[in-house]
Amino acid sequence: MLRYLAKRAVTYVFMIFLTTSAGYLLAVSTLQPALLEQERIPRPTPEQVVNSFRLKGLDPTLNPWERYVDWLTGILTRWDWGRSPNGAFINAEFGDRVWISTRLFLASIILTLVIGVALGVYTAARQYKASDRVITSYSYLMYIVPAPIAYFLVQLGAININESVGERVFFVTGISTPGLDGGGWAQFVDMLAHYAVPTFAITVVGWGAYQIAQRQYLLDNVNADFVRTARAKGLTRNQAISRHALRVSFIPVAQSIAFTIPAIFAGGFFAEKIFAWHGVGSWSIDSIALQDVNAATATLAYGSVIFAVGAILADFATTLVDPRVRVQ
Amino acid sequence: MTSNTTAPDTAQSTAERLRVAGLHAPTDAVLSVRDLNVRFNTENGVVHAVRGIDFDVLPGKTLGIVGESGSGKSVTSMAIMGLLPPTAEISGSVRLKGKELLGLSDKAMCRHRGNDLAMVFQDPLSSLTPVYTVGTQIVEALTVHNPTMSKQAKEARAVELLGLVGIPSPKDRLKAFPHEFSGGMRQRVMIAIAIANNPRVLIADEPTTALDVTIQAQVLEVLHAAQEETGAAVVMITHDLGVVAGMADDIMVMYAGRPVETGSVDDIYYSSRMPYTMGLLGAVPRVDIAEKTSLVPIEGIPPNLAHPPTGCSFAPRCPLASEACLDGEPDLREVASGTAHSAACIKTEALADVDAHAIFAAPAVPVSRFDRLPRHERKTVLELRDVRKHFPLMKGALLKRRIGTVKAVDGLSFDIREGECFSIVGESGCGKTTTLLEIMEFHKDQDGEVVIGGLSNKHAADAKAKGAMRRELQMVFQDPTGALDPRFTVYEVLAEPMENLGMPKPAIRKRIMELMELVGLQADHVNRFPNQFSGGQRQRIGIARALAVNPRLVVLDEPVSALDVSVQAGVINLLDKLRAELGLSYLMVAHDLSVVRHISNRVAVMYLGKIVEIGDVDAVFDNPRHPYTRALLSAIPVPDPELERTRERIILQGDLPSPLEAPAGCNFATRCPVFAALPPAKQEKCLTLEPALELAAVDQQFACFYPDGELDADMVVVHEDH
Repeated sequence: MLRYLAKRAVTYVFMIFLTTSAGYLLAVSTLQPALLEQERIPRPTPEQVVNSFRLKGLDPTLNPWERYVDWLTGILTRWDWGRSPNGAFINAEFGDRVWISTRLFLASIILTLVIGVALGVYTAARQYKASDRVITSYSYLMYIVPAPIAYFLVQLGAININESVGERVFFVTGISTPGLDGGGWAQFVDMLAHYAVPTFAITVVGWGAYQIAQRQYLLDNVNADFVRTARAKGLTRNQAISRHALRVSFIPVAQSIAFTIPAIFAGGFFAEKIFAWHGVGSWSIDSIALQDVNAATATLAYGSVIFAVGAILADFATTLVDPRVRVQ
Repeated sequence: MTSNTTAPDTAQSTAERLRVAGLHAPTDAVLSVRDLNVRFNTENGVVHAVRGIDFDVLPGKTLGIVGESGSGKSVTSMAIMGLLPPTAEISGSVRLKGKELLGLSDKAMCRHRGNDLAMVFQDPLSSLTPVYTVGTQIVEALTVHNPTMSKQAKEARAVELLGLVGIPSPKDRLKAFPHEFSGGMRQRVMIAIAIANNPRVLIADEPTTALDVTIQAQVLEVLHAAQEETGAAVVMITHDLGVVAGMADDIMVMYAGRPVETGSVDDIYYSSRMPYTMGLLGAVPRVDIAEKTSLVPIEGIPPNLAHPPTGCSFAPRCPLASEACLDGEPDLREVASGTAHSAACIKTEALADVDAHAIFAAPAVPVSRFDRLPRHERKTVLELRDVRKHFPLMKGALLKRRIGTVKAVDGLSFDIREGECFSIVGESGCGKTTTLLEIMEFHKDQDGEVVIGGLSNKHAADAKAKGAMRRELQMVFQDPTGALDPRFTVYEVLAEPMENLGMPKPAIRKRIMELMELVGLQADHVNRFPNQFSGGQRQRIGIARALAVNPRLVVLDEPVSALDVSVQAGVINLLDKLRAELGLSYLMVAHDLSVVRHISNRVAVMYLGKIVEIGDVDAVFDNPRHPYTRALLSAIPVPDPELERTRERIILQGDLPSPLEAPAGCNFATRCPVFAALPPAKQEKCLTLEPALELAAVDQQFACFYPDGELDADMVVVHEDH
């Protein structure tokens, strides 16, 4: 197992290197932060811009390859991912961004998985009954509705509640109230008031996919020959399904869950923008808008790492739940 | 025994149930079924799948239920087990030791299922849960009915059960997962699960259909042992008249959801009185007799049970049908008073001592123009010289190293002459299909030479030569449904090969009409899609497609194994006729040795990539010299109860060995019944030297050092009393 993991890790490190390098070369040859500087008032002279960028290691006069070599040397020798055009250090900003994304998504993704799988099992056992139809229709609706619209609707709902109560119960944007005084309890209530709306929004939008998948995989197995064998042994239909069909139908779901978990740390653009939590997702888009080569590449590299971890976890999960699969 | 099938509604009133219950004979039957009816609500209306079945099974006895697909035999077994979906409407009565089972809730039924009523299913590959160990699954069957049993006791019982069904080192195998077992081994596990709680009734639904003949013989032996061990009554459901001939005491023949003939096994096989039964028996080729008669084909297809038949359900296919047959369905009636033999036919009396061939229009045996010529004067259409296909067995992902070789085909040489049918037989995994693929591959880098109609793969294997080769050689596939594109009309299917050859349109059209007639299909059906034809008709389309370009050699890959017995006979007769009329040669691969014997002139027996015996089909089948051929032939059940009861059977141990374990010498040594009985000095020779093919008769060669050696007593089974 360890040998297998090591081998996979080597492969993925190589792939991450390729994507990141390609991403950097693409970014460095298309993004022109110097143009943005021209819009400043008072307008700096081109020499001033070049000088300022050279000090930040973003010398626009060097060709892309030279900048790539510099950038790569920085990472490999000092683990320095460079600076933004505004002078901020990528390394310093990165940790904060990841932590914000994680806080935004951690609770909601766990809820999404648990609720989605549980509802999938529940509806599969009650196929075509009213409860199944309602829940499954809802899941398909969530497939269709674009996530930002659903987030906005949840926000509107929260604002409505605030208005009808006449007091600010929920915060629809932001992570915490700046400059809040008070003890631990006040801090805790403030945190809940900030977390409730985004967590709820991401959860109700997300579980649909898992519900549909789990329901489908379980239904595929409900009439399988081995469930019939289990019933022929003397298990009731429900016992046979929960002991035999469920375990088999969970194999593909476990794989997709394993893939999802690292995504908690990668964040999501729409949710972060709409709820104004400035995590990794919004950073990656913003950095492109701000012509920030180093930040854009860093988020890309981070995304690749998350993907690789997800793929390894998915393999691991499959071997864990399916004895037919062996890793060699 | 009469049954009333006109009951329109299934909601049974108490009075109705009492009436039905009154029909129960006061016998000591452990399972008795009366007037069982099953209806399914489908999109096409109500399908009345089982229409009034009565039977009793006595303890320790075996009832065989025989029928073709769609006859309702499996639905009957599932209805008894209470495993049909809730949408099925079931009426009548099923009594287990006098207790009514129909109408019990799923929960109440669970006290019987797996306890005193157990079942073995058809497909062992999918019937075990893949994610639990075999031990867990056996223990589960024990736990359900014996909650107080200790863990050690359950484990000990599971080991005992696995040993009983003949799984070597059962204690270690308990922790194995189903995918680590072969098909035959999994079916043994299924039997172990079924007999775990000493059931009074064991229902086996096609338990050996998915298995090789040698494995089938092993599993049937295990079932036999299990029945003796538990004293259970067995209900054996099958389409194979051979399988039940040796096992059953009584037989019930089903057609269109009803029993059409019931009686003791001798009654059914030796004096059947219902045309359908007679047709079925006549449609089965025999492996033990060199027949020179055609098989009896039963024309037509079974009725659609969404529309209840108004007359005898078999009348549309029965050559004896008259006006009277269409007037109401005949009930089962005793053939002679006081016997248990009954048949549902109004002409029963007239059918005593009548031969099936006299009723059904079996075509005359076709004679080919080549049959008169001695073999050596005919031209060779296909020749293989020392063809090999080895697959390296690799281990490791990045740095692969070779840990062995799978010799799928290992030095095969044979030839096929004009107008003859050459068959390759053997267990799955012996290399039959690889041989066909090697012939179709026709590439100059192949190991060995393939000569097709004078074209050699060594000398001319460019695209042009391949095209010419395809004109000489065409293929008919096993699964007629999968082999035809569902979006192509029959016309398009048949036209494609000819368009490839660049034939002009009018010629193609004319040829297609010829082909349709040739294979016995209506010419005006060319614009239909494959799904509008029955299985047998689809296989005829497949044959027509192969014949379109006028090949000289047709490769038949299991051409009839997907077809029902009665339909199979028609296709076999057609193949026979085409061979004679068109002077075709066939290369056939089949696992059914009865079919092989019927249709072939010469046969090769393969084992682990090598030919172990080859020659004239009658010589090889009547006087097999190689121990493997002997075992293979003895494993095939014959539809003759008398013979089945007394003949000696060679039961091979285990499965085909893995290529890594094959010995250096004779690769059959690990399972050979002769080898096992040899003194160690002689065994040495088998293990170190590879036997070459040697001549036994004019046209018979075999590869064995001790063909006349004694058989190991452990591997020979004779059932003396029944």
